[in-house]
Amino acid sequence: MLETRLSRRTFVGGSIVLGALLTNFRFAKAFVAPSLPYRKKKIANIRELKTHKPIMFNYPDEKSPAVLVKIGRPAVGGVGPKKDIVAFSALCSHMGCPIQYSKGRFVCKCHYSMFDPAKNGQTYQGHASEWLPQIRLKVDRRGNIYAEAVEGLIWGRIINLLPR
Amino acid sequence: MALFARKDRLPIPPKDAERVTTVCQYCNVGCGYDVYKWPVGKDGGKKPSENALGIDFTKQRVALQGQSIVENMHTVVTGKDGRQYNVLVIPSKASPVNRGNYSIRGGTNAQATYAPSKPTRNRLHYPLLRVGDQFQPISWDEAIDIIARVVKGVKDRWGPDSIAMKCHDHGGSGQGFEDNWAVGKFFFIAVGTRMLSIHNRPAYNSEVWGQRERGAHELNYTREDAWLADTIVLWGANSFETASVFYTEYMLPNLQGATIGKKRKVYRRGEPAEAGRMIVVDPRRTASVAVAEDVAPGRVLHLRPNLGTDYVLANAIARAIYEKGWHDERFIRRRTDLKTFEDYKKKSLMLDVPYDEFMRKVERLTGVSRGDIEKAAEWIAKPKRRRYRRRTLIIYEKGVIWGYKNYDTIASIAQIAALTGNYGKPGTGCGRQGGHQEGYVRPHSRSRAKLVGSVYAGGPPPNIDEYVKQNLNAKVYFVSATDPYLSTPNAQAYKKRVHERTFALTKFLSEYAATAGEPAGPEERARRILEGLGKTEGLFLVVLNMYQTEVGRDAHIILPAAGWGETPETSINCNSRLLRLYDKFVDPPGDAKPDWWIWGRIATRMKELYEAEGNYEEAKYCSGMDWKTAAEVFEDGASEFPDNRVSRADEAKLPAECYKGVTHDLLRRLGQKGIQTPVRIDPKTGRPVGTKRRYTYKFGTPDGKWKWYGTDPWDPDPKKFYPHQITKYFRGDNERKFPFWFTNGRTQIFWQTGYNDRYLPEKVYTIPMPYIEMNYRDAERLGIKSGDIVEVYNMEGNCVAVVYVNDSPPPGTVFGIMYRFHESLNHLTTSYTDPKTTIPWYKGSRVGIRKLPGRLESVIKYTSFLPINDFS
Repeated sequence: MLETRLSRRTFVGGSIVLGALLTNFRFAKAFVAPSLPYRKKKIANIRELKTHKPIMFNYPDEKSPAVLVKIGRPAVGGVGPKKDIVAFSALCSHMGCPIQYSKGRFVCKCHYSMFDPAKNGQTYQGHASEWLPQIRLKVDRRGNIYAEAVEGLIWGRIINLLPR
Repeated sequence: MALFARKDRLPIPPKDAERVTTVCQYCNVGCGYDVYKWPVGKDGGKKPSENALGIDFTKQRVALQGQSIVENMHTVVTGKDGRQYNVLVIPSKASPVNRGNYSIRGGTNAQATYAPSKPTRNRLHYPLLRVGDQFQPISWDEAIDIIARVVKGVKDRWGPDSIAMKCHDHGGSGQGFEDNWAVGKFFFIAVGTRMLSIHNRPAYNSEVWGQRERGAHELNYTREDAWLADTIVLWGANSFETASVFYTEYMLPNLQGATIGKKRKVYRRGEPAEAGRMIVVDPRRTASVAVAEDVAPGRVLHLRPNLGTDYVLANAIARAIYEKGWHDERFIRRRTDLKTFEDYKKKSLMLDVPYDEFMRKVERLTGVSRGDIEKAAEWIAKPKRRRYRRRTLIIYEKGVIWGYKNYDTIASIAQIAALTGNYGKPGTGCGRQGGHQEGYVRPHSRSRAKLVGSVYAGGPPPNIDEYVKQNLNAKVYFVSATDPYLSTPNAQAYKKRVHERTFALTKFLSEYAATAGEPAGPEERARRILEGLGKTEGLFLVVLNMYQTEVGRDAHIILPAAGWGETPETSINCNSRLLRLYDKFVDPPGDAKPDWWIWGRIATRMKELYEAEGNYEEAKYCSGMDWKTAAEVFEDGASEFPDNRVSRADEAKLPAECYKGVTHDLLRRLGQKGIQTPVRIDPKTGRPVGTKRRYTYKFGTPDGKWKWYGTDPWDPDPKKFYPHQITKYFRGDNERKFPFWFTNGRTQIFWQTGYNDRYLPEKVYTIPMPYIEMNYRDAERLGIKSGDIVEVYNMEGNCVAVVYVNDSPPPGTVFGIMYRFHESLNHLTTSYTDPKTTIPWYKGSRVGIRKLPGRLESVIKYTSFLPINDFS
């Protein structure tokens, strides 16, 4: 099920939540991400982040490595005061190898695809026909960063949420 | 937030999903793909026993080993029965070529299929007739009748050469042996014109006569040779971007040392087997250089010659090899023609010029140091320990094919391999990388017009771009499966003139209709067209394509063609001449038809018209093209090949594409395995057998020996070396106005003009407009940053482009994407063609650069400008 814990803001805007649920239901038929009941997961606090120091985590489950990084330039889907904090699946969208963060971008050393974290995980060089799946983030008032959903199919899955 | 809709799940093919074998429609590599098709709503289950793939979808698959199934590999199409079907097009693990690997292009094969609710709805559905400034849908019968009447009328009045064409000659991309055979039969026999040109160039020619006339076809190695070579040379070939899976699946493992085991199995006993080395000859520091250096530092040599000096560099490497005594004396004596070898030594190696003096001149012209030339010679030819010969695979492509002096350049490179005995053995070979796949079969033996070879074989062939532009005897122009408004050299001048000429006819027809009304039928319409062609400088343009194109804007009739997966077709790939069937799994949009059907129908209608007037002689030439199936066309094409019941050694005498004895049914049975051409009929068993590697025993000449060629003399002074199309830029004020060398090429991101890719959001965001690459030093001097918009211009034309600042081009040289969806940097190419072959020099021009005020904010925001040649 979708995250149900209500913050003050969503409580005030209850009708917006309902609208979002309906929209999600319609999208679910076309499998447009996020079409699945992703769980919210705390990744880190903004104060722990240093520019270009990636934090590894697993999302949406233990079999799916992911990476959070403050890239020091504004990013599509970025959070934080500078909109420069982003997270992605850490499996290359080409053939599932682990990606590495260096020089402000992701490189896969299996077949040398490169992805730009500032541009929605854009494959700007290499074989991957899919951009790197980006993880939707949210920051609360205390600076805690939460993963909320995965936008794009994680390599090696036909559905992002595996049966438990 | 995603810039476009992404998916987080895909439907699963059920056990009874329809299964079809195919091959990627895009590049030369020819990766195998498996297609699954099933009705929407009838999905399979997650357990291996519940789905067509036998995959356990309840688990995370293992990287590299697991089947790749990504978002773009799925789509939904509408069947002719009106039902919706899921289609999954996934890289085949059963394919010996890609073994489950795939590229950024092939990964989107499914998206190229027609769907009424997707961007492919832009496909052409019906034949279109121009009336004034608009296109009107008409029936096939009407369109075919008009064209047949105009072609016949023009031919009868002005002769067959008044009909010109520019058509595909290749495989893949929805073409193949079937379509090529139909084009050939139509133009060579039914029409009989000499005014032919090939999709990407102004004439009807081989791009590599310099090698073919030596006795070797350019597709002679097999893909495994890239695993087995001691040294791989990439000459003017950016394989990481333009033969992606061939590079990562074959060359990379060799550089990594992962194929030493394979080498030991085929090398001779005691022969050293080590991790491979790579030499890249390219003015740019391409991704192919940078990836290789990341994998194998110290085992990559990068030579960066000045533009157009490759044949001098190739001869210099050969001279260094000869000077050190690293040539293969035994091979030269046994396998090559010793008479012409004298000519080669004198003219190409210039043995009369002392070595030091020769090298000084080479350094001055090419800009490559003697040290690097000698190192290349060593890596190519210096024998290994215990005096085993080095096995070197030389792969070249457009960087030299489309260089200055095409014939001499290709001959020089091909001769390095002959000098060092690198043909016909595992880990050796010298040939093209390829751009697209191949599928050439045309009725040369029955052509009514004499087709010529290079200047040494009755040629060179005429330049049809110039013919159509300048000669009013050109009345009808067919353009099929290509968009020369983007792709032809000197494109701006070409499209301006073709527009003028086609518009002259349009204007005549409009003015006629203004007084007499629109014609009552096809007969009357054709009569007016013929009258207009006589009275004006008009040109009747027929365009055949899958989509509306740039050149299509000026067409009088547009014919909608079926594409990949919409009709069975056959092609060979370039790295191993692997012939496979690309089977049908969807229907073409609307009333679109396979190319072979269209050409056959026009010819057949011409036959009827000739018969009606009692001209049975001409009618005969238009007959035999009323094919019903693609399989029938394929077998008709086989009639062109010579008797192939020959010994293994005599494969050298067969055309590279020879498939006599192979049928669609056999290929369907062979599936991904396919068969390597030339196919022989084994004299003992009577069965078709493939050819893995060519020229093991003899070359393709009458006496089986390699024929040497002595190249043209050259002047070390650039102002005397280059042709007048370039030296005009050195005169007077021009050197200051056009201070940059300009070269062009491709990107890994999209295929050709992006005819399919332009509808995919990933591609449009990544390559939002034409781009140039500029070296940091030049950019700093001009105050240009990545993302800035510039005008690139010269005496040929102009184009606006976005800038990537990186260290790929050397200072003083600017690189540009050759063309993008609607725009073309070919506006800047000169009209130079090699007088020996009529092959253009796309890769060298001079330009000025002007920064436009302001930037395009969406481009800055959504496009990545990170360096595409830094992987560290």
